[in-house]
Amino acid sequence: MDLDLAFFTELFADTFFNYWWVILPSIFLGIIVGAIPGFSAANTIIILLPLTLAMGEEMGLIFMVALYCSSRLGAGIPAILVNIPGTAGAAATPLDGYPLTQKGMGPQALSISFVSSNIGGLLTTIMVLFTMQYIIELVYVLHSVEMIVIMLFGISLIATIAAKDTLKGLIAGFFGLMIGYIGADVIYETPRGTFGFLELYDKVPLIPALVGLFAISEAFLIIERQSILSKAGQEKMKNSTWADTFEGANIALKRWWHIVWTSQIGLIIGVIPGAGAAIASFVAYQQSKTWSKTPELYGTGHYEGLIAPESANNGVTAGALVPLLVIGIPGGATAAIMLVVLQYHGTTVGPDLFIDKPELAYGVFIAMLLTYLLMLPAGFPLARYMSRVTMVPTRYVAPIIIAFTLVGSFVPRGYVFDMNVALVFGIIGYIARKTDYHVAAILIGVILGPMLENFFIIALRMSKGDVTTIFSSRLGNVLWVCLVISFCIPYLQEWLKSRKAARDALHKGEEAE
Amino acid sequence: MAENDPSGDAAPKSIGADLIIPVSAIVFTIYYISTIIDMKWEAQVSAFLVGGILLVLCAIFILKTLLQVRSGKATLTFDDIVDPVSAIPKRFMLFGLTLSYIIFVPYGGFTIVTFVFLALSMLVLSEWQHKRFIIMLSGLLALGGYFLFIVLFKRRFPEGPFETFAKPIIQSLTGG
Repeated sequence: MDLDLAFFTELFADTFFNYWWVILPSIFLGIIVGAIPGFSAANTIIILLPLTLAMGEEMGLIFMVALYCSSRLGAGIPAILVNIPGTAGAAATPLDGYPLTQKGMGPQALSISFVSSNIGGLLTTIMVLFTMQYIIELVYVLHSVEMIVIMLFGISLIATIAAKDTLKGLIAGFFGLMIGYIGADVIYETPRGTFGFLELYDKVPLIPALVGLFAISEAFLIIERQSILSKAGQEKMKNSTWADTFEGANIALKRWWHIVWTSQIGLIIGVIPGAGAAIASFVAYQQSKTWSKTPELYGTGHYEGLIAPESANNGVTAGALVPLLVIGIPGGATAAIMLVVLQYHGTTVGPDLFIDKPELAYGVFIAMLLTYLLMLPAGFPLARYMSRVTMVPTRYVAPIIIAFTLVGSFVPRGYVFDMNVALVFGIIGYIARKTDYHVAAILIGVILGPMLENFFIIALRMSKGDVTTIFSSRLGNVLWVCLVISFCIPYLQEWLKSRKAARDALHKGEEAE
Repeated sequence: MAENDPSGDAAPKSIGADLIIPVSAIVFTIYYISTIIDMKWEAQVSAFLVGGILLVLCAIFILKTLLQVRSGKATLTFDDIVDPVSAIPKRFMLFGLTLSYIIFVPYGGFTIVTFVFLALSMLVLSEWQHKRFIIMLSGLLALGGYFLFIVLFKRRFPEGPFETFAKPIIQSLTGG
């Protein structure tokens, strides 16, 4: 079978006409579950597994793909409107999304997020369709040593987001890393730092940490004022129209190049099994700020600071399916469930899948393409009307946030203990916010801590305890150099800027004389 | 918060609260290291590295803070955490209600405890105004949550008298 444009066009038309009625409801379900902390696409697919299995192989996969993509989009909605990311993948979204909402630009911010997510997702899906065999080679060249550097790229963000006080940012980040080390160690299964709680043997649960750091602390902060919005923001929001929604789309489209390159970061990180959307969005944010002409505006409601994480975490979706379909290694939880469904139907994943069942293998990506195309028109009315949530007085919003996110933290494991974990993280988050330690820096640490430790231990084991092994790979060394450059660029930019300012001042002085 | 006084001298900054996170980090790191002290070095090295860096960073921060206090530029008070003072009673009451929510939800179940928590919290925050509206809103939200999460999404939420009572009715209606 020739894999030419005609094949893809025919597959696209077939998928659209046969399955549009599956994709559309899945999009709405995905947006809802994505927006509720604790309700990931993976959880929902597990609940609906009997239905998915009954659907048949092709339809079941299309349903899961549509749910997977739309839940990524949904997770950004509460992150932008109320500073609460629906999933860890959207944890970098509020850094600039929420300040935009506070300025009364909720509809614009949601539109920017939708357009960046959709275009980012579309582009990476098309990229994957045509470059699958080259991308997969990444999986084979990245080992524990290279992964350590990639993790450190994520940690370098700590310094980037804590631009006001780097020392506080680093303390918050490293504190998060230490918290991330809680639990049984991977080699000897000995509990460490668990305070005697059995529930912490499996590491600190991520959803309660996310809920506490972002949602609970935010609820306690917002009760100090009447509204989430500033006075000017309230006026602006009252008078918002459809034009504001389309203005957001226009803002994003004008920065199309930014969407293109940050979504590619998502794609590359998505291909690496276990890395995931959280790392992708933070790395994209950090790179976006590093190469920006106005890095000082990040964190204050910078459009590009919102575009970068949103396009990157949607770039991950296509990337995460590549190792699943080509070598049978799922790139994340949702991909793992897809593997189960494929195996249930007797389909063996691997290179042969693309020869024996090209309609199925490529059909997954065509369904993804269709989901992104259909999601965009569905997103605009959401942007227009969901942003009205920010007009509700905080005396009603704060208790709703607490009740529903606390229960959300109970959902993944079913332990009441996890609600207590959320409350403890809420207290840490509240103190951190009040004293200018960035909660996102703590969260990055909690996410990366276990991963960094795992790769570190694997690297040490393979080198028989030689610590210099982290500089033993050529690709790893190239990444180390990139990491150092990435660290230095903000300081270099700052130095060049101050030199230019000094030169301008001198020039003006000479002219005055 | 530092404010400029008429003489032009900046008032000392309140930075006592800034020490809470570093001190907690030091205490936790020491505790964590005490739990891995007898382990093989492979399992220790990563934590020693990160913990060591964290202790150094905290030490620098504490030193910097003490120097600021010594020079009179800052005081070891906790204004940042306390401000605004007018919100303190609401903050404490909401915290108490949140803690009670966590304690009672395994016994009372999601729907009833969520209703009580929402109603009481909203009444406290709105200073006991709009009582009827708040009670109706809390009831709707708790019931909406029950239908969305327990009935529709079939999540295993804490169950209590309401869920036990409603389960057979829902099962007979849905045929499940």
